[in-house]
Amino acid sequence: MTVVPARSSEWVRPVTSQEPASAIIEIDRVSQVFQTSARKDHLALSEISLTIEEGAFVSILGPSGCGKSTLLYIVGGFVRPTSGTATIKGHAIAGPGPDRGPVFQEFALFPWKTVLGNVMYGPRQQGVHAAEAEAQSRALIEMVGLKGYENFYPKELSGGMKQRVALARTLAYHPEVLLMDEPFGALDAHTRTRLQNDLLNIWERDRKTVLFVTHSVDEAVFLSDKVVMMSKSPGRIRQVIDIDLPRPRRRNELLLDPRYQKYVVDIERMFDESDEAGSVS
Amino acid sequence: MMAQAALIRRAAPVLACIGLLAVWQLAALALKNDSFPTAIEAIRAVPDILGDKESLINILASLRRMAIGFGVAVLVSIPLGLLMGRSRGVAAFFNPLLMVIYPVPKAALMPIIMLWLGVGDITKTLVIFLGVSLPVIYHSFEGAKAVEEKMLWSGAAMGLLPAQRLVRIVLPAALPEILTGCRTGLVLALITMITSEMIARQSGAGNILFNALDMGQYDTVFAMIIIVGAMGICLDAIFEKVRARLVRWSEPQFDMPLSFS
Repeated sequence: MTVVPARSSEWVRPVTSQEPASAIIEIDRVSQVFQTSARKDHLALSEISLTIEEGAFVSILGPSGCGKSTLLYIVGGFVRPTSGTATIKGHAIAGPGPDRGPVFQEFALFPWKTVLGNVMYGPRQQGVHAAEAEAQSRALIEMVGLKGYENFYPKELSGGMKQRVALARTLAYHPEVLLMDEPFGALDAHTRTRLQNDLLNIWERDRKTVLFVTHSVDEAVFLSDKVVMMSKSPGRIRQVIDIDLPRPRRRNELLLDPRYQKYVVDIERMFDESDEAGSVS
Repeated sequence: MMAQAALIRRAAPVLACIGLLAVWQLAALALKNDSFPTAIEAIRAVPDILGDKESLINILASLRRMAIGFGVAVLVSIPLGLLMGRSRGVAAFFNPLLMVIYPVPKAALMPIIMLWLGVGDITKTLVIFLGVSLPVIYHSFEGAKAVEEKMLWSGAAMGLLPAQRLVRIVLPAALPEILTGCRTGLVLALITMITSEMIARQSGAGNILFNALDMGQYDTVFAMIIIVGAMGICLDAIFEKVRARLVRWSEPQFDMPLSFS
């Protein structure tokens, strides 16, 4: 009889006291300047430094125009920072790659592909055999609650359904980090709540690293292990708050939990106290 | 109710044609002009033309030039338009050139091209090519420009290289717009086909038409107009069938999303 450890990773991961949790993404003094007109420069991000630990759900919270999405695009490799560096697993980020999967507010689905075609796109691109990619994709579509819609085109789907497809499409190529750019921002309140719940359920199964941009305090506290509060003009990190709430989180329990309520109230108060009072909606 | 609506939709074009012919008939009868035959006289002359081997060879030669001119134009213009839409450098280089060529009537270039290349097929096909190219380039350009950046980013994250993104994302995403350009191009192909044959008479449908005009055979002239018009309608209908198949995913009948989060 052999003794199998509860988590196989305990065997693999070297335990050194200097590295408590391994950092997957490191952002080091990143600044971003946009030229708004011929003479004017806009400092979107100023000297941002941030470490994201592997397996953490981290939200970037801030008012519109604080550069939170830009920070996400820099990690995605879609935007090159004006100065500073971002690394993933120690490698400098030079461009987009399948290790970082984006989910955009605009869904950005391929409208000429069916739901199944969209989800299969990534695995097929990575060279996964068609039959295998299809089987995996069908399972993912079922997981995001869209079984029966495999052959629908994006245009036939509601916003919430489109975002479910977008999530499945990104999960399909197994990125190590999910980059979510206000993914539920375009959805109505009811749909938004349902998707938050479903995202947590999915996330709690494999605990991928998630970088989640939002301007909703409730959403950030509900989902995250860590909330990075940003302020605007120029975009800076104000504070990083650890959200010490038990998992798995259930919405109906959490909303009644005084600790949850305190986090929300405290964060809202901190934004109100700043000079851009009330700009966090 | 639905069946009735569908019936009306199907019957409408036929009714429009009959109405047009009726107006023509009445106008011709009222004017009593030798150079304006009635619709019935013109229609009667159609079988004569289509039954004549010489005429058929002429018409087929026209269609062949048109097919080649259109095909080559589409093959060249779509990649060029897409590149212009995605690269500022390429757009900056070609835009002024196209702006110069766009407003020039392509038939006006015929005499010059004829001096260089003669009055044969190459000249006529080239004029058709020029006529078709510009709308196809323009619509491909606009279509490529409008492709959502985030869609390309999604592709890039999956590992698609820039050239692959152009072929596998920009091309399909811009396809509805590209096909709008091709449809305009098809009509222009027909127009430039006839005008090129009007200027360089040698063979073709335009040649029959203008020869008949010279000889005062007005029923043949109008019969040719009917034939060319019918060709236009048929080509457009065929194209529309193909187009609807290719861009089924963007058709308005898919506009009503299901209500489910």
